[in-house]
Amino acid sequence: MPERTSTSLEFSFVCPLSGGLHARPASHLADVANEYVSECILANLRNGSVASLKSVLAIISADVREGDSCTVRVEGTDERQAQTALLQFVNEVLPGCDVPLPKSDIAVRDGTIPRALKSTDVPFCFGAPASSGIGQGRVVFLDGMSLRQRINGRGPVDALNELEQIKRATSVVCARLREKLKHSKSTAEAGILQAGLAIANDVSLAQKLRESVLQGMPAGEAVAAAGEFFIDLLRRSGSEYISDRALDIEEICLQLLGELYGNDFKPANVQLSGPSVVVVESLAPQQLLALDRQHLQALVVGHSGATSHAIILARSLGIPAVVGVKNARQMLSPSQEIVVDAIRGLIATRVPPAIQRFYEREMATLERRRNKLSSSANVRATTIDGRSIEVAANAASYDELRLAFESGADGIGLFRTEGLFLGREHAPSEEEQFEIYAHAARIASGRPVIIRTFDLGGDKPVPYLSLPVEKNPFLGYRGSRIYSEHTELLQSQLRAILRASVFGRVQIMAPMIASLEDVLLFKAQLSKAKQHLHTRGTFFAPDIPVGMMIEVPSAGFILDQLCREVDFFSLGTNDLNQYFLAADRDNPKTASLSDRLHPGFLRFLQKIVGEVHAAGKWIGMCGQMAAEIHHLPLLLGLGLDEISIPSAKILEVKRAVLCLSANNCESLLSRAIALGSSTEIENLIDESRLPHSSQPLLTVDLIMLESDTSTKEEAIQEIVDAFYVAGRTDNRMRLEEAVWAREAVYPTGLGYGFAAPHCKTDAVNADSIAVLKLKQGIEWGSVDGQPVNMIILIAMREAHEPSRHMQVFSQLARNLMNEEFRRSLLNIEDAPKMTSYLARELGVGDLAVQ
Amino acid sequence: MKIVAVTACPTGIAHTYMAAARLETAAKALGHQIKVETQGAMGIENKLTENDIRQAQIAIFAVDIAVEERERFNGVKVIQVPLQEALKDPHSIFAKIQH
Repeated sequence: MPERTSTSLEFSFVCPLSGGLHARPASHLADVANEYVSECILANLRNGSVASLKSVLAIISADVREGDSCTVRVEGTDERQAQTALLQFVNEVLPGCDVPLPKSDIAVRDGTIPRALKSTDVPFCFGAPASSGIGQGRVVFLDGMSLRQRINGRGPVDALNELEQIKRATSVVCARLREKLKHSKSTAEAGILQAGLAIANDVSLAQKLRESVLQGMPAGEAVAAAGEFFIDLLRRSGSEYISDRALDIEEICLQLLGELYGNDFKPANVQLSGPSVVVVESLAPQQLLALDRQHLQALVVGHSGATSHAIILARSLGIPAVVGVKNARQMLSPSQEIVVDAIRGLIATRVPPAIQRFYEREMATLERRRNKLSSSANVRATTIDGRSIEVAANAASYDELRLAFESGADGIGLFRTEGLFLGREHAPSEEEQFEIYAHAARIASGRPVIIRTFDLGGDKPVPYLSLPVEKNPFLGYRGSRIYSEHTELLQSQLRAILRASVFGRVQIMAPMIASLEDVLLFKAQLSKAKQHLHTRGTFFAPDIPVGMMIEVPSAGFILDQLCREVDFFSLGTNDLNQYFLAADRDNPKTASLSDRLHPGFLRFLQKIVGEVHAAGKWIGMCGQMAAEIHHLPLLLGLGLDEISIPSAKILEVKRAVLCLSANNCESLLSRAIALGSSTEIENLIDESRLPHSSQPLLTVDLIMLESDTSTKEEAIQEIVDAFYVAGRTDNRMRLEEAVWAREAVYPTGLGYGFAAPHCKTDAVNADSIAVLKLKQGIEWGSVDGQPVNMIILIAMREAHEPSRHMQVFSQLARNLMNEEFRRSLLNIEDAPKMTSYLARELGVGDLAVQ
Repeated sequence: MKIVAVTACPTGIAHTYMAAARLETAAKALGHQIKVETQGAMGIENKLTENDIRQAQIAIFAVDIAVEERERFNGVKVIQVPLQEALKDPHSIFAKIQH
């Protein structure tokens, strides 16, 4: 028999991921490759780079982008099995790994600064606002750590000894990261620690270290060389996200060096005294954590990575940061007092009184806006005919929980727990889970928190579960279906949730329930967990409500049976819809079929809600359908008890509910389900829609009758700020520039001490009239050359059709030419009188006044 | 005197209407008969008819942009001023007409 010649197996694929083979898919791919002894080599045909599939670092540095053709060559004793597994992974799992990269929609500012700042002669530095906020303090320069510091000149080496040292250092660093990971309370921090672990364990890094040592380098130099090698590779990728990962490698290498050289190699410990702004070229997370948070007011970073881990951390700690500031070193000097405006991406390099005044006002504006938003967010969403709906938030992390309640959520309608189980080597412990569930219960302070037990399946690789790769994971082994095989995992989660239940209104919800049997099994598991805690003598709420997702259509036909077993339901419309219409929501060819306004689907929802209510049970909706404001009238028509949506939408949805009538919504729904297609239904909703804005034209929030502003710049700023506080603009810069653009044509001072600036911009979210009365006249460039005492600003949205408010504006303009009207305006001394006077004179009804 | 006028400004939100009001008031004070068409954000309002234009002795354009349907005024004496003129000093416009 001829000796088996070493062959190799090869296959090719095209990268399907819009974000390319970035860290997460790369680590899954490496997990698969590392199960085999064969060499697995990836070649990116676009750029000619070659990488071992066993190394996350190598895969990332191959810079595989969407549409790149790649080949994979597998060679070794188990090449056939390895090839099969990799091929299957690439074909079936990889396309599902596409997670949009954490992209920040921020860019370095082009030098647009508010006019009130521009009119000072202070030089500004510009950058990208990466962590929002404003901080003022004295400049402290921090040296970035260099891999080369204090490691040169170590004596001659014994390779084996050096390798042993590297091995020891690596295991200490890994152990420390794991320990921290165990106690990590923020998802941002956990993500950073996991990325660190993946790098520290990377096979390419280990190989590079080994090569360098065998070439005669001492351990430290080998670490620095390997670090520099990979950092250089990643920096050359051309992708901001990938080049930010270079900082992670730097961080791990610094930690290894710290282990190798002990105290000789520690970041220079900077003591902050008094309010400080730290200015640094690039920042490692450890360096950030070492700074005294009591004094740290803001960060100015030269490197432009908004997705670097230190910046993610700064964001979660609420430290304002501007990144990508190119000339900070030249423009700033130590101890200089500066203001970092990480809302606009500006740094004021000096703080004269005009700047101080601007930012004091800015802080007050931000505070007022926060209060205003939270007070209007905390109103109950009730229709004009008195029906209330709970508007809850979806959440999956500490950050999202905080955001939810800041945004005025009436509760957490869906706490997704999968995130706690993904992207890690071991399942989260009962303790770790308990901490976050208890935290959720506590910050909800009496509002309900619905925690859904883990919904894991073949589409989300979990190393410690070894779930099979499936042809169609959405119809496969997932959700509650895997619970009987993984009872220990479920038990620890149920115990954690039960223990958290003593801190608030916690409710448990099971995913992917298709039958009565599924519910009974789930409840049996819950009883077992309760029994266990009881034996342990641990407290929990014994009558914790138990609910289920309705996402498998079969559940919708046995509601009589299910209502006897559970306390509440939540419609998971994403899956329910794709199962109901047999159309894959992720397949672009069938996406148009997965149509939430399909008359059949609406009828199905109506039947479900009706039957659940007839049985006296509660039902909410947590799918994407709930978040679409366009569909809101239909959802109210369904009579849902709750909708659970992303936090960012809460305010908008609550406001919209306030303007709708439940009766009208019900009749809209019955007309909709009688129509033949979703297009007709869309049209019906459009026709019956209220005008785009639910906000009245006149509001006391925009009437300011005692301004001590002394310049035109500040006056316009003050009005723009009032729009911002009132929630009528989210883009002050654009609004301000729109006003100034009109002033540039010719100033709007119309004489008699009046000015009527105006603009047409979608930077405002509702047509509005603002009034600013000044204590002292200011120069406005009026036609009569006289100072201005009263400013009436008109802002309207851009629209193709003339706004119904235009009539009012033209009347206002005409009235301003009338002496008696002007005299009356000057004599009115309080805001409510001003709005009612204007409403009367301009012929707008009470509905246009707030 | 019978006068027709058109006012128009770039945004058409405020000044078009202010100027119209100013011209109307000033004309009245001087004893003229005036009809002012506004070309603003609501389109053409108080539109001048063929008849209005034929009967007028003069047309005033207080505009910062081109007048729409300009051809209606062919054969009519037109005096065009920047819109601001109508706000600042409408009487001076009427004074020009007298001469």
